[in-house]
Amino acid sequence: MAREATVTEVQRVEHGRGWIRLLVGIVLLVILLVGLVSIVLGGIAYFRFTRHGTPYQASEVDHFKYGSIGSEPASGLPYWVWQAMPSLFPEKFKGGDFSVFGFLYETDQQGRRRDLPIGVSRRTVNGVELAWLNCAVCHTGTVRETAGGPIRVITGMPSNNLDLHAFISFILGIADDPRLDADTLIPAVQKAGARLDWLDRLAWRYIVIPQVRQGLLERRVRLDPLMALQPPWGPGRVDTFNPYKLLQFYMPFSSLTEQERIGTADFPSIFNQRPREGMHLHWDGNNTSLAERNLSAALGAGVTVQSVDHAGIERVANWLLDLRPPPSPYHPDATKVNAGRQLYVAQCAGCHGYQEGEGYVFQGAHIGQVERNTTLGADPWRLNSYTERLRDLQLTLFKGTPYQFKHFEKTDGYANLPLDGLWLRAPYLHNGSVPTLADVLLPPAQRPKAFVRGLDILDPAKGGFQAPSCEPGRALEKGFCFDASQMGNDHSGHLYGTELGEEERSALLAYLLTF
Amino acid sequence: MAADIIFTPLSIGDLTVKNRIFRSSISGRFDNEDGSLTQTRINWECKFARGGVGAIISSFVPVLLEGRIAAGYATIHRDDFIPLWQKLGDAVHSFGCKFILQLSHSGRQMDIPGVANQRRRTRSSTSRKETLHGFLTQAMTKAEIDQTVQAFAGGAWRAREAGLDGVELHGANGYLINQFLSSGINDRRDEYGGDLRNRARFLLEIIKAIQDRCGKDFPLQVKFSAVDHNNVIPWEKKGNSLEDGIQLAKWSEEAGVHALHISTGSLFPHPLNPPGDFDFNTIATTYDVMLASGVSTFRNYLAFRYPALRPIFRWVWFRMKKGLPVEGVSIEHARAIKASVSIPVISTGGYQTASFVRDIISKGSCDGVSIARALIANNDLPEQWQAGRDLPLVPCTHCNKCLLNAPKNPLGCYEPDRFGGDYDAMIDQVFSVYWPHAELVTPPHQPAMASG
Repeated sequence: MAREATVTEVQRVEHGRGWIRLLVGIVLLVILLVGLVSIVLGGIAYFRFTRHGTPYQASEVDHFKYGSIGSEPASGLPYWVWQAMPSLFPEKFKGGDFSVFGFLYETDQQGRRRDLPIGVSRRTVNGVELAWLNCAVCHTGTVRETAGGPIRVITGMPSNNLDLHAFISFILGIADDPRLDADTLIPAVQKAGARLDWLDRLAWRYIVIPQVRQGLLERRVRLDPLMALQPPWGPGRVDTFNPYKLLQFYMPFSSLTEQERIGTADFPSIFNQRPREGMHLHWDGNNTSLAERNLSAALGAGVTVQSVDHAGIERVANWLLDLRPPPSPYHPDATKVNAGRQLYVAQCAGCHGYQEGEGYVFQGAHIGQVERNTTLGADPWRLNSYTERLRDLQLTLFKGTPYQFKHFEKTDGYANLPLDGLWLRAPYLHNGSVPTLADVLLPPAQRPKAFVRGLDILDPAKGGFQAPSCEPGRALEKGFCFDASQMGNDHSGHLYGTELGEEERSALLAYLLTF
Repeated sequence: MAADIIFTPLSIGDLTVKNRIFRSSISGRFDNEDGSLTQTRINWECKFARGGVGAIISSFVPVLLEGRIAAGYATIHRDDFIPLWQKLGDAVHSFGCKFILQLSHSGRQMDIPGVANQRRRTRSSTSRKETLHGFLTQAMTKAEIDQTVQAFAGGAWRAREAGLDGVELHGANGYLINQFLSSGINDRRDEYGGDLRNRARFLLEIIKAIQDRCGKDFPLQVKFSAVDHNNVIPWEKKGNSLEDGIQLAKWSEEAGVHALHISTGSLFPHPLNPPGDFDFNTIATTYDVMLASGVSTFRNYLAFRYPALRPIFRWVWFRMKKGLPVEGVSIEHARAIKASVSIPVISTGGYQTASFVRDIISKGSCDGVSIARALIANNDLPEQWQAGRDLPLVPCTHCNKCLLNAPKNPLGCYEPDRFGGDYDAMIDQVFSVYWPHAELVTPPHQPAMASG
């Protein structure tokens, strides 16, 4: 079509350079629009993606169970990923939630099942709500009088259910799973209840999900060689310091000596912390400061120097100072108890203190002291996993702050620990290699070579949880078959009481059942 | 009692004006598209003649159709317009008032080109487009300059033939002669550009051509801006200084000019001419008639139309006015020039107070004043002064709404407050220019020109 004739000179000139003006106009318009949109979106994004905070728990016990200690920023998964995982990975979540790994769920005051298990806290970081572990995950367990009886959740006892090894293996395993791709994950989290608008979806697609995957992959690269080498920990156990070396200090796995590569130990109880101040803490007694031990344990749960929530940790620590274990439910023969008490006071109380009625006496010439392992003869792997090199690195943490580590030391044995709440602390010895109190009093050769861990039914006769014998490698309907022949699992050592006669041993056991 | 100096005669060459009050050039679009003047024009000028001014300096009267500011202003580019101008002159003379025709050429400052001019660029000293509205421009060739010089002479001759009392060359306010004079606009490299002498060549050639055509006795005055203040758009050059203005005055006198009319600014309107307010709500309703005239008009329209953008233009416009009075805004320039020449000097710029005018004339700052807006507001201002009023009963507010309405509406006072808020009374005053009506006649049966 012929171009329409211009009427004025201005029109002719403007038409002549029309395409330039149009182009410049479009470019300016685009710049203006992009600028305006950027300002508006930037403002919205700024307010949305700079939000930080964690829910405040009204009670101390709820803070212990669900409050944050600062593990989420560095280690956490988005809350909605956490909620979507059972539907995304049904083959791993037979029960439909994280109880498959031994996590414990409670109901809230309205009787509704809580959205997250005990030991998992929430924190909003840069506008994204994250969830990860706190102290309670390893220090809350369950007991039952009988198989069909009601389950008691007891805070402060060592977790007897949590299979942290299985959980971590699963988490690391999904790092490159296609189901963690944005196209699958975003609909899954929305189905799980997340309300994501287009800006959220954009952030999830291009920032949140890539960061999650990258974080998981990096952790997998670091932890995989260790996890592959170590025998499965089984429920209620953890390698405290080796993951710490690889994740906190970026030590390459190859730099670990062969002797230090397995440090798996039982979760400890955390009752009555106040009387423990100044005692050698941790199984190997490598620190005498409660505060440092607490902070170090938080690092093990995923906290970093940058993300640590000191106030959250200190609130937990203060509550634990005087947390009493529930009294033993056992009522052994009083005569036997008295006889056993005499034996215990004569042979054991110097190292462990003693039970007096419903209270515990934290006194003894050697209580809280480190006993050389050449004397104890216990499995050395946990002792060897803590090294001078790690200690040196630990002393660099929190440098220049009141929280700087100063009390860590390399020891040569295991600490003499108070035995308060002993009925809740099975299996026994530092590596949980002996299922019951009765077995502890037996010579190592007579102690069970393989038994089931992870059950919470009390064994009133032997002290501890029912732990039937099992055949390693054979699948169990419930629980985990602990094989004492595996590296780090040796049940030898601590021969005290093993030389007693049957009657004396029975009396000592009766007294121990009252702890 | 000594005579009031305002009402003493002033001689401009052979022309004697009865008092010192000149109606400054100002006009609405009262005339025909072809440049022929109308009864409305005669009505307009006679308002002021009736009111007692000594002389009327006509509206901007183009010497060529291509030199008009706006279509609808009477021109003097055709001989057959001489009788029309004669009618006007006779009418004004009947009130004892003189009539000086302002010979003009818009150059690049063509607000509304009209159908005759819209297909070509305006002619100027430069090819750079006008800066405020973006009017397109073409630098004049030597032949075009010669032609234009002769057009000025032709216009003067027609004025003389029409019996008018003299002519004024409009060399101020950014029109063509100013475009040659101004160092801020003239970027020529030929004999019409460069130093002041070269830049003044065009003006001096026009003066000589008029004298050649009309004789040196025919009253001729030159209006020019003593100072250009060319940097209304902040990045523009400042243009001519007062020193340049004084030199121009001397050269004009040497060339035989009979009087000087001193203004300011190389743009019209300019923040300092006419001085006063700038009403955005008015310009927002009238500037649309100029949208097709320049390449920057739409930008300006947006700045006028949308209050959020007005502060930009307000800053540009008002920054030059700081500290300056409205009345006698450029009297000091006139005083400096008056001190350098011996011919009469007329000053323009916001005059309305008799005592002030009396004072500046008495002290020799100027010989007369030219007034436009205050006379639009009060056509009888001279009579009120003569009756003893220092300020008229309802003075001009210098709101400039008359000026801002001019491109679109009949010229008049558009300040309702001056009519007690009676809008109808204001419109009646504006429409009064249409009375009396022209005697309408039946056209000849044979057309004057073949059509089609």
